[in-house]
Amino acid sequence: MTDREREELVMYLERDQLVSDKGRPVPRARLSRRVSVGLWALRVFAVVVSAMVVYTFIAQL
Amino acid sequence: MTPPRPPRIPEPALEGATADGQSTNLPAGLTHEDLIRSRDRFRVHSARQSHRRWYLLWLLVGPGILAMLGENDGPSMISYATSGATYGLGFFLPFILITFVMAIVCQEMCMRVGAVTHRGYGQLVLERFGKLWGWFAAGDLVVTNLVTLIAEFVSIRVGLAYFHLSAGVAALLGLVLVLFTLSGGRYWRWERIVLGMAIFNGLFLVAAIMVGPNWGSVGHAVVTFSPFPGGSVNTLLLLIASTIGATVTPWMIFFQQSASADKGMTPDDLRHGRYDTIAGGILAALFGCGALIAGAALATRGGASIQGLAGAGFPGALGAVSGKAVATVFALGLIEAGAVAVLTISASTGYAVGECVGAPHSLNSSARGAALFYGANVGAAALAGAIILIPGAPLLSIALNANVLATVLLPVALVFMIMLANDRELMGRWANGAALNWVAIGIVVFISVCGAAYAIDSFLQTIHVL
Repeated sequence: MTDREREELVMYLERDQLVSDKGRPVPRARLSRRVSVGLWALRVFAVVVSAMVVYTFIAQL
Repeated sequence: MTPPRPPRIPEPALEGATADGQSTNLPAGLTHEDLIRSRDRFRVHSARQSHRRWYLLWLLVGPGILAMLGENDGPSMISYATSGATYGLGFFLPFILITFVMAIVCQEMCMRVGAVTHRGYGQLVLERFGKLWGWFAAGDLVVTNLVTLIAEFVSIRVGLAYFHLSAGVAALLGLVLVLFTLSGGRYWRWERIVLGMAIFNGLFLVAAIMVGPNWGSVGHAVVTFSPFPGGSVNTLLLLIASTIGATVTPWMIFFQQSASADKGMTPDDLRHGRYDTIAGGILAALFGCGALIAGAALATRGGASIQGLAGAGFPGALGAVSGKAVATVFALGLIEAGAVAVLTISASTGYAVGECVGAPHSLNSSARGAALFYGANVGAAALAGAIILIPGAPLLSIALNANVLATVLLPVALVFMIMLANDRELMGRWANGAALNWVAIGIVVFISVCGAAYAIDSFLQTIHVL
């Protein structure tokens, strides 16, 4: 297959829509300490509240 | 005057592409998935060039309507109908409309991030914020999806039970549908089949019309939020949390972003993506209100306790007060709601697992080319289908608690979605504006408070503190 044929084949896709490009990881974001603490607090909140829901569900069986 | 059509653009050929994406005839780096997506994009490009507006809209709708109508699933419709049966027309009717406005705001962000980055939610969280947060997100999704999938099979089972068909038939039907829709190895085919099925979510609106509600009371409830529900605070909190979980859930976030990327949407398609999301929200709100109005027929004619309905099933209970035709339509609606959601939720499980493991995860891939994606898709549905075969399972309780669990885990998923939609490195000029951020943060706070209120109240009652 020539370069031109290849180009025609994928001309309707944006470059980063190709599977090979999508497999390339995006750079890691830098989270500030405040954001990290906030995310952990939210995670703990979600786990505690989920545990309450699951406990209540099982206790009511 | 009709604009002149440009010369026909040659459609990309598929010769040389094998289904496993490993063809030696293809240039290095190109896969079968690329070629199929390129063909889909060709059609969009062609429609845009030739100014065929309706055809372009037809090509670009899908993920938004599927996410919204997929979430009008069995547990959601049972939850809406339970609200109607418990409290009648009133507070919950406009509350459903508000929750769908919230859903549109959240889902628009998912569509936009998917179209701009071409990556799914799980993959972006994992790569941008680290493996720990990525796996937390995927873990939340797999747990809530499994519980919700069980509830979807429960819904199919309740619907089929009205026609005297067993739980085994429900499990088999769900699994066969998953296998059938996945068999084409093409996103477009899968999307169109599921869209075709999702139209029948409108059966709930038909059921609402058939019960002959007082439309004046419906209008009054929508405008005034009244009458406000009385009785048990815990039941009210359960239904509020459950109603929120019936409209915005973690799987929708994963699904719409991944499906938008898999469909091949680009920033040029954002306007149509918004139409798709808004249309899905309006349809889902209408049909959800239909389920509530149909359920309200039970409240005004003797009523029924929530758990009482679990035994008889909603179709049977409706049949007793509104006639056999309404019951039949409602039962068919439950089967449809469960079936469509089984397809969309199992697909979101497949996307999440594939994205987090870094394995191929596209409906444009073949089963051989994306074995883990298809395996997770079918495996989740098969496991949930097997669980409903266990005799004596508390069906309605599972259905309502599936939504509550989704509600309490949703804030984490939404916060990451807001962070992604604000990430200028990823989103560039398509990042969120300040006003949208305030609305989105307000939604997160509201959902967190509602979920926590029910969880804490129920927990304290269970351990006899209240």
